[in-house]
Amino acid sequence: MHHVESQIREPLILGKKTYHEITEDVCRPVEGKANKMWYMMFSLATLLALWGLGCICYTVGVGIGVWGLNKTVDWAWDITNFVWWVGIGHAGTLISAVLLLFRQRWRMAINRSAEAMTIFAVIMAALFPLLHMGRIWLAYWVLPLPNQFGSLWVNFNSPLLWDVFAISTYFSVSLVFWYIGLIPDFATIRDRAVKPLSKKVYSILSFGWSGSAKHWNRFEEVSLVLAGLATPLVFSVHSIVSMDFATSVIPGWHTTIFPPYFVAGAVFSGFAMVCTLMIVMRKVLHLEAYVTIKHIEYMNIIIMLTGSMVGVAYLSELFISWYSGVEYEGYAFMNRATGWYWWSYALMMTCNVVSPQLMWVKKWRRNIVLTFFMSIVVNIGMWFERFVIIVTSIHRDYVPSSWNLFHPTFVDIGLFLGTIGIFFVLFLLYSRVFPVLALNEVKTILRTTGESQLKQLQAGEHIDINGNGSKKGH
Amino acid sequence: MTETKKYWKGLEELTAAPQFVEQSQKEFAEHVPVDQFLSDSEATESKTHRRDFLKYLGFSITAASLAACETPVTKAIPYLNKPEEITPGVANFYASTYFDGFDFAGVVVKTREGRPIFIKGNKHSAITGGALNARVNASVLELYDAKRGKAPAKKAAASWQKGLEWSTVDKEITGHLSNVSASGGKIVVLTGTLMSPSSEKAIADLAAKFPGVEHVVYDSISSSGILKANKMMFGKAVIPSYRFDKSKVIVSIGADFLGGWLNSNQYAAQYALSRKPEGEWMSKHFQFETKLSLTGSNADVRATLKPSENGIAAAYLLKAVGGNVTVPAGLTEGAKKKLNKAAAELKAAAGHGLVVSGSNDSNVQLLVNAINKQLGNYGNTVDVESGLHIRKGNDTDFAVLVNQMAAGSVGAILIAGVNPVYSSPAKIGDKGDFKSALAKVKVKIYLGDRLDETGAECDYICPDNHYLESWNDFNPAKGVYNIAQPAINKLFNTRQWQESILAWSGNSTGFGDYVQEHWSSAGLVSGNVAWHEAVQNGVYVGHAAPAIVETTDTKKVEAPKAEAVDMALVAAATVTSTDINFNEVAAKFKASAGWEVELYVKAGMGDGRHALNPWLQELPDPITKVTWDNYATMHPEDVKELFGITGKGYEGHNELYLGEKYPAKVIKIKANGVELEVPVYPLPGQARQTVSVALGYGRSITSGIAREEWQGGLYKEGALIGVNAFPLISKDFLYSNSVEISKTDITYPLATTQTHHTMMGRKIVNETTLDIFKSTKDSKAAGAYNEQEMLTDTYGKKRTPAELDLWEDQGIDLGHRWGMVIDLNTCIGCGACATACQSENNVPVVGKDEVRRSREMHWIRIDRYFSSTLEGEKVRELDQLNSIAEYHEAEVPDGDDELQVVYQPVMCQHCNHAPCETVCPVAATTHSQEGLNQMAYNRCIGTRYCANNCPFKVRRFNWFQYDSLNLTQYPDFNKINPAHDDLGRMVLNPDVVVRSRGVIEKCSMCVQRIQHGKLEAKKAGHAVEDGSIETACAEACPTHAIQFGDLNDVNSYVHKASKDQRSYTMLDEVGVKPNVYYQTKVRNLSKEA
Repeated sequence: MHHVESQIREPLILGKKTYHEITEDVCRPVEGKANKMWYMMFSLATLLALWGLGCICYTVGVGIGVWGLNKTVDWAWDITNFVWWVGIGHAGTLISAVLLLFRQRWRMAINRSAEAMTIFAVIMAALFPLLHMGRIWLAYWVLPLPNQFGSLWVNFNSPLLWDVFAISTYFSVSLVFWYIGLIPDFATIRDRAVKPLSKKVYSILSFGWSGSAKHWNRFEEVSLVLAGLATPLVFSVHSIVSMDFATSVIPGWHTTIFPPYFVAGAVFSGFAMVCTLMIVMRKVLHLEAYVTIKHIEYMNIIIMLTGSMVGVAYLSELFISWYSGVEYEGYAFMNRATGWYWWSYALMMTCNVVSPQLMWVKKWRRNIVLTFFMSIVVNIGMWFERFVIIVTSIHRDYVPSSWNLFHPTFVDIGLFLGTIGIFFVLFLLYSRVFPVLALNEVKTILRTTGESQLKQLQAGEHIDINGNGSKKGH
Repeated sequence: MTETKKYWKGLEELTAAPQFVEQSQKEFAEHVPVDQFLSDSEATESKTHRRDFLKYLGFSITAASLAACETPVTKAIPYLNKPEEITPGVANFYASTYFDGFDFAGVVVKTREGRPIFIKGNKHSAITGGALNARVNASVLELYDAKRGKAPAKKAAASWQKGLEWSTVDKEITGHLSNVSASGGKIVVLTGTLMSPSSEKAIADLAAKFPGVEHVVYDSISSSGILKANKMMFGKAVIPSYRFDKSKVIVSIGADFLGGWLNSNQYAAQYALSRKPEGEWMSKHFQFETKLSLTGSNADVRATLKPSENGIAAAYLLKAVGGNVTVPAGLTEGAKKKLNKAAAELKAAAGHGLVVSGSNDSNVQLLVNAINKQLGNYGNTVDVESGLHIRKGNDTDFAVLVNQMAAGSVGAILIAGVNPVYSSPAKIGDKGDFKSALAKVKVKIYLGDRLDETGAECDYICPDNHYLESWNDFNPAKGVYNIAQPAINKLFNTRQWQESILAWSGNSTGFGDYVQEHWSSAGLVSGNVAWHEAVQNGVYVGHAAPAIVETTDTKKVEAPKAEAVDMALVAAATVTSTDINFNEVAAKFKASAGWEVELYVKAGMGDGRHALNPWLQELPDPITKVTWDNYATMHPEDVKELFGITGKGYEGHNELYLGEKYPAKVIKIKANGVELEVPVYPLPGQARQTVSVALGYGRSITSGIAREEWQGGLYKEGALIGVNAFPLISKDFLYSNSVEISKTDITYPLATTQTHHTMMGRKIVNETTLDIFKSTKDSKAAGAYNEQEMLTDTYGKKRTPAELDLWEDQGIDLGHRWGMVIDLNTCIGCGACATACQSENNVPVVGKDEVRRSREMHWIRIDRYFSSTLEGEKVRELDQLNSIAEYHEAEVPDGDDELQVVYQPVMCQHCNHAPCETVCPVAATTHSQEGLNQMAYNRCIGTRYCANNCPFKVRRFNWFQYDSLNLTQYPDFNKINPAHDDLGRMVLNPDVVVRSRGVIEKCSMCVQRIQHGKLEAKKAGHAVEDGSIETACAEACPTHAIQFGDLNDVNSYVHKASKDQRSYTMLDEVGVKPNVYYQTKVRNLSKEA
């Protein structure tokens, strides 16, 4: 008998996965041994991280003078790296919180790792404002603590202080959100653990989760509340970071468009980094069934959208610099595009505005190799965006006698590469001890009816409602 | 309910079994063998009780933790008997005089707890008034130079016997001198210009003791040409007194009279007086020169000449003012046009003009004298009768001496105050250099301050005192006397050279007593009171004709035996004819076609005697802004041609960019049989086919300071700072040569503090011309020269930036509001303010490598901008630049004679709405109620946000621990920073904190002086008077371009000047409301010029 059915959506989880298989797939990296690839990557990351730590010690021991800064360019790679990492740290919370509120269920396959990335990226980001201080040992002075210096208080006018609050809030909320999501999965690992030590550790981490309906109910409620809390933070953090520049008097920094433009840029770079990480992870950890081409396509669409938003912002800036008739503003942008650092502006434009337009082509945005390449291109572009904003604005501002160039030293470069190393050390460790997918949540989107059942029906087989097939239940 | 209920643990309790009741009374259910435990002898043996144990524990923890705390050891050694005049914390000031044979200035020495820490001008001093330049100001640091000679030394074989006793060397030297004298040999005392009557008398005393003593005067930077010309024309070998303040037209042919020419301190102060556009007249300044000099950069009209054309230009000018002279061929049309213009102006202002020349060629000077004579300037702006005694060195005398030495006819030589091995040409007369001639002298005694180039060639070094440890007297002009008194006891076992000479002539009097005795016996001052008054004032202007013999002529060296000397030189020394044929003089000049080299003196380094003064080494050159080096300046187009750079305009300009990673190209200069490899600075405004190299660099004592990264391709072991250009001086002491210039492949980093040259059409330095200034009533009106910046508000109304302010004012009209007014018209760019600030505020020296990275710490900088021409119009006259091409064009300075230069001293502008204050997260920089933007260094955590947000870029960051001793990571700071050496630290001003690594610092408007001034006024019971408080920069400014005061005091100078038509604040449209005002520069040009 021939029957007609409507076009159905692609399933979110491919293959005829059973609940048990999901558990097995996610727990495998935690329970099994790491492969050669992991060790190679981990060694490389550790080397980079150690080099970075060496540069940190050198900077703190000797002084900021080991960087390439000068009397005119007082911020360069330090704050570029800071903004870059904070930007990357945006995607995680956006995926887990905003998409949760919008009931985008495809987020479940990637939210765990995206959030882990957020946490680690924010840690890397927070390193730079600390390190760039001339006297890092007095860093706690930025906190409004009671003190013995008389009634000495912090300066609430300073955007740097707002940064302190914005980033610490964002970091703590993101961390809590991430952890809450991890609890049921830790419990699963705990229940499966055979070694006493890991059983002990995972039972502490899982906070006595028993999987009861009441637990699940609270879990859902807390997730929703945290998502509500985290959503404004996604927009506030980078808005506030942008105010470091927007509230200044420097042409090229003093721009009211910055808050939305920075947020768009942050989502842009964050999703690119998620792509970079997930494409590698799904291959190495064999998670192709969960992180599917569809996910990649969705993320590419977001990248294309935010990339275009950023492009519009770039063009508005250019237009306003001309339209305002302010000679300093006009020069700042002309100098960006045609001055000593024209190449960084060109890189920024190509990587951030031109290259995402490739994603209009469906075939290309579903191409894994191209996506991986593009995700790196986007992050290079976003690094240069911050470099362009910071360095090209201050290297030639108001008084031409102070105009100067900036040349990075090996320490500048070492610190940046070092944070990439530390980031990957953390991420690789995470991939070995944490469930990299929200395994219990993912089970809620496993289609128990649909094509497989239809096929079974067509084949005249007995329909297994639980989707367990002939295998035993988990 | 509870009362009626009973709870029990077991049936035993409920039934209250006796066994249970008994058991329940016990603390422990089972028997605890306490007695047994206590009876254990071992356990109770200890005599230490529990409480004792706690005491011991407490004590030892306290002791251990106390021992762990390192108490800083601070040694404060009180005076055993406190000197009456010294109160700790209160500065003492002593008048003195600075004269090193090159610079002359009356000074006041500020001492704290007996240490001289600051030098300022002595306003009572005749000749210089209160003016002094950077070199004099920074000289205080050299007192604390640990590399000075510390005791007499004697050469024994190849090594030096150091740390000898004075009595030992005195005995030996007296013996040597007696031997030489007894055998009829000649003893020569070689000094720089002395204008000290007592020193000359001391030499005369020596001559009386040892027959055969002669005194030869030698100047490293010779003005022999002027002396000779005046001798020929007026019979008096004297430097005339010039009156730049009385000159309505000033024409200088190569004389850098504001920088290194003769008595620049005096001339700078005079010049400023003639540059007031508000006055009845303002001088018009023409400059004809090779390199763009400090003076040339201030000129109204400037044209370039090759060094060989100086004489031709003088002849041309003489002809143009009506002299009867045939002008040799040469000169560009542009130069001729400007010379004609100068001549017309000179003639119009006959008697009130002044023509000077920097040439050391007496023929050029003769022509210049003729011009001044023709115009009737003598007696008005030039005075030979009351000439200056600042230069007396006679090149011919020196050449004769070198010939005699080479011939072996000098038995002993005593060298004091000069360093001829370093500073004399490679070929003197026909006998080679001074060094090889010196080797022929049997007894060589060096009375300099250390083992330097000349010292190394001598047999004895008898180290001289620093001038702040010495007595001296000076007779700078007829009837004018200055006194130098010591401001500190000798730091080392040194002896002032005059005292050494006295000792050798058998007189053990101290030089102070000797001077007093001489003055008294000469009838100049009688009695102790008058003497002390003269010492206190540092200056004495004779009421009656002084009895002391005028010392205008150098002592003649007796004509030596014919075979030993160049007779032509001797003949030249004796020309006294007053009947001069100027046609013959002019005919001696010929224009040359090839490359020429000009040697000049930098504002910071002088003739090289300050080579170990890091303040001066790090003082940016006024024009090039290069520190720690000399270099060859060359026209940019010449550089491009030489190095085959084909880029035109902006591209070509960028290829010549000098910066951190863009080192200078190196050329080879071949002249006088000497080859020098020198980095090139492409300098617009340089005459084509010429290079100019500064003298005073390449001192041997700077060996070991420079490191490989400072030297690039020129690095050699023991490299020196810069190269010594003295050997390039040709044998007749004229600073021009026919030379060969070739390119090399090596590069060399130059550390410059300013890498961009033009103002990009912005109103940073505002300027106008005299006729516009005179004809403008409201300078702030639209289109006027000092137009008020207007912004359009939402309703389309034009408003000033101040009106569109979002800030609430903090009541800035109440109380004091400290501010400055800087007159850009009188700022000549010399840099005296920068060293004064460095000295007052303990600003660290960071060294060439750090300056190369643009990390100099100066709190005040002098911005120098060149003009650039855009389609025939000056960029700054355009409203706005629009296209990329226009911006690019605006970056390229004019290379030709139309080049104009402006200077602008920039320090913290102390904005009333300071952008730095809002962004500091910890409120380390805040606003005082007196209008100061202040830094709390202790609170600063070093985010540098303030520095980024400063539109003026005046904030400086301590990238390293610049002040610490024994810094292992950056040992080079130890070599260059005075604060890195126990002795050098004595120069630090105790009123100003030394900043640590990681904090921002900047100009505080000398807040310590403001506080002091306020306290003084409070003690005196009156309000702070205008002028009673001066910042270091304002105090040091020789032209009084920087003025400090209370802007809220309606009677103050700064209040009035800030409301002046010429006044404006920098970057008005940003709305930061600075407390520093600038006054528009006015060029004495008519609109069409």
